[in-house]
This record gives sequence, structure tokens and C-alpha cells, in this order.
Amino acid sequence: MSRAPASSSESVGNAAAASRQAFAAWVDETQDGRVFAQVFIRGRESGYELRHKDDVDAGDLELYEDPRSAREISRLTEAGEHRPLKSAPNLRRGWILRVPDARALAVAMNYLYPAAVVHWYLERGGRLEITSYRENAARQSGIYKRVQRLSDDGVQNAARACCEDDVCLKRTLWDVDDETALRMDRGSGEIPCPEPCSLFFSFARRARLFEREERERDASGLTPSEREDLATLMDAAAAGEVKPAREAEFEEPLNERRLRYRRLTLVPILRDGE
Amino acid sequence: MRALVIVGHGSHLNGDSSWPVYEHAARIRESGEFDEVVECFWKEEPSMRHVLDTVESDDVCVVPAFISEGYFTQQVIPRELGLEGSVTKKGGKIVRYSGPLGTFGQMEEVILERAEDLMRGKEKRPGRTALVLLGHGTDLNKSSGGVIYLNAERIRERGIFDLVAEAFLDQEPEVGEVVAGVEAENVILLPVFIAEGWHTRETIPEDLGLTGEVTEREDRTIFYGAPVGTHPSMAGLIAARARDTLSNAEAEVVPSAR
Repeated sequence: MSRAPASSSESVGNAAAASRQAFAAWVDETQDGRVFAQVFIRGRESGYELRHKDDVDAGDLELYEDPRSAREISRLTEAGEHRPLKSAPNLRRGWILRVPDARALAVAMNYLYPAAVVHWYLERGGRLEITSYRENAARQSGIYKRVQRLSDDGVQNAARACCEDDVCLKRTLWDVDDETALRMDRGSGEIPCPEPCSLFFSFARRARLFEREERERDASGLTPSEREDLATLMDAAAAGEVKPAREAEFEEPLNERRLRYRRLTLVPILRDGE
Repeated sequence: MRALVIVGHGSHLNGDSSWPVYEHAARIRESGEFDEVVECFWKEEPSMRHVLDTVESDDVCVVPAFISEGYFTQQVIPRELGLEGSVTKKGGKIVRYSGPLGTFGQMEEVILERAEDLMRGKEKRPGRTALVLLGHGTDLNKSSGGVIYLNAERIRERGIFDLVAEAFLDQEPEVGEVVAGVEAENVILLPVFIAEGWHTRETIPEDLGLTGEVTEREDRTIFYGAPVGTHPSMAGLIAARARDTLSNAEAEVVPSAR
């Protein structure tokens, strides 16, 4: 059943070197440049130039010439927040990175979108190993072991809350298990997502804790944490200060993914009493 | 080609945890000793699951940027990287796995350098000076504190300080009691942690009432250092750890499990 070695390099030889060449060739194919997630890349007379896709026509960009400065570029959001998930659509703008060759392009891409180029390459060759939620959950231990008990509906809702293009630009290729497909907008970006990531499991753990509250629903049909989230949201909205929590701060009621999950699970209860 | 893969814990919430891994990797890269130096993380990207896909070298040494042997070095890292033991053959690569950093011989040098950096230009009181090595510790895993005792003993043997003491956050002896009770007018407190974080920036200073690098109390001065793991010389230790693992590479290569 498993199509999953721990690393897909096992069956593909030196995919890293091949992917670097294939990626540069893909960029070279067109004069118009390529968009890869939020990065616009085009060939120059010598080497490559990268910038935010919304800065294609922008002037006054900060120039970087070391491919490893991509690490600095991708480190924080525009607002200065840590970016644990590089494929979240919050890459900051205002920079331009010029690199001398295909190898430097790969270095830069691996900081902007870690492992994305090799996965892009493997998928194009039909060799990207995809592993399901259940297979990955079975491997978890310690505080993450409880994700094994998340229901299929819980996985579906968590994926819609965490993996759609509004919050992650990867194209979700994995499913709940071999029989149960994810019902979601999987996205259309260039970067394939072959398995749930660490951020997803952190959210899945939170979602499982929500599920455990099911038996504590009160007369109005709400769980304790749903009540708390509504109260916090109401307070914040009334004060005109709905300040989103940090990206992975799933314990906070105003976390975007948590709110997206609540929209899927709580709004139907509030609207229809379901 | 030879690659060094450094595994860090990383964090979903802030960049403190991955920062030293990137910095040490950059320093080792500059030395040119390895054809590739690659970072990967448990909670950031690239994940351990995918990092080997990005490596071109066929001879790979994995060094965990962790102080102690424990849950991560023994269970999580080998599992996520698909390692069979100290040497694993997979996908045309030989992957060698080093132990954690804290038990390696050079660790005491890094600790001493951190202490020296902290004390440079600072005035001590007349009297005795104690070095206190602070570990996280846990009652759940006895080996967690072992690395603190090991390094304290190694440094004690050198006779540089009047006293060398061990202290922990989550096990005995508790850090507050050690810092207050150690018989010295000068107490150099060094967290033997891999990165800055909630404990080093918040809980430790708050619990001990520290006012910064130097805190004057009636009977003693406390000098509080940055975590040992962020010291630039950790890069040298990581590279030495890898060198040591590679020099033992004559060891039998276990056949791939696949």
C-alpha cells in the first residue's frame, strides 16, 4: 500500500542535480519569465533575476546578488513575522535578486521554497512519492501521536483550513488515505505537496482536541472552545482590533487557519443549527 | 561529493530556533570542507523528510544540532530521515549519522569560549568565581542531564574556576537554588541550550530576577550568558563532529532495508 520511502530520493538517483538543470531550462524556454509560487524568474544575458511576482514592473527594488540572501528575503513577512511555511502566500516584496547561473538559481530557490524545485521536477517525471495523511499520521509519536485519532471529516476540514491557496500555494496531492480523497480546492500552483507538513500536523493536533470537546456541547450546541473563540472574536471586532494571531499560533482564537476551520465546522451550526 | 546535513529543531512561532543552524551552516560552508552544507528542520522547511532529495552528494553526514541524546536524536531524526543506524545506504547515497553535540570532546571548549566572551571587560568582585552550567533537564529522561554533568566534570578537572556546578530547569538541582546557594561571589551562569528561546529570554531571567548580562545581588554578582549553542565556535564543533563520523566511515555499511 505504501508508496512512501522516507525520502523519494531513494528511487530516483541524483534528482537534485537533474532538477537544478531542468528548472533552469524551464526558465530559459521563455523570454517572458516564469512565475513559481510568488516568485517571478527570468533569464538575463548572464544568469537569472528573481523578484516578487507583484514587483515585475516595480522600480526601486533592493538589489541582492548573493543567492544565499534568499534566506534573508524569505525569513520574515512584510510585517516582520516569522515564516515557518515558505509556501504561504506572504513572501515580502521590494527586492530583486540577481544570480550568476543555474546552480545559484537552485540555491536561491531552495531558500525561497525549500525542496520545491526537486519536487516540481520529480512530479513532472511522474516520480514524486505521494503519501497519505493516515500513513504519515501513523509515524507520529510524542505529543503528535493523537493526530492518528483525527476523524476523516477532521482531516478534510483541516486540509481546507490549512492547504488551500489562500494560506498555502502548494498543490495538495495527498489524500486522507488510499480510499478517501480530499474534497478541497487543491490549488493550481507549480509546487506539488506530496504529504502533510509539520505545520499541518500541528493544526491536526489542535483539530483533534476540538473533536474531543464534542461531548461537552452545551444547550446552545457550542463546545467550550467554540464559545471562547466567538467571545474573543466579538470583543476584538467590537473594539475594531481584530489582530490576527501568528501564522502557526493555533491556540489563539484569531489564528487565520483556526478561523477557517471554525467557518467550516461552526458556521453551519450557528446558521442552520446542524 | 560530500555533504553535511545539519538538523535543527526549528519553530513554527519564531526564528530563534533555526537561526544558529543557518549561521553555523554558513560558517562551515565558507570553510569549503564539504561540497554541500544543507540545513533541515523538524518544524521548518526543508523538512527532514525531504532534505535528502535536495542533496547532490553521494556521501552524506547528518549532524543533529541538539545538545543531548534523547527523543529527537534517537527516535525522531532517524525515523524522519529514514536512517537504519549510524550508516544507511539509500538511493545511491551513503548517509552517516553523528551523535548529538553536547557529549563531543570539543563541547567544553565552546562553553569556555562562551564564558570568556561573557566576562570580557567585566569587573568581578573579589572572591571566588563559580561556573554554573544550566541544562533543561527532565525527570522523564535521565540521560537528558548527563551532558551537563559530563561537561561540568571536564571543566572542573581543568581547575579554571573555583567551582563548577550543575543546574536545571525541570529537575534537581534547581537553578534558582544553585545560583543563590553556590559558594562564590561571582556566578557565571551559562545555558547549555542550542538556541535562544522562551526559557533563555524570558523564564530564566524572570525566575532569577536577572537584569541583563550582569545582575548585582547583595552577596554576589551573577553573569548571565547567551546560550552556548549560538556561539560561533559551535560551527567548528559541528564540523569536527562530522569529520569524526566520516573518519569512522570504515565501519560496515549496513545493507539498505529496502
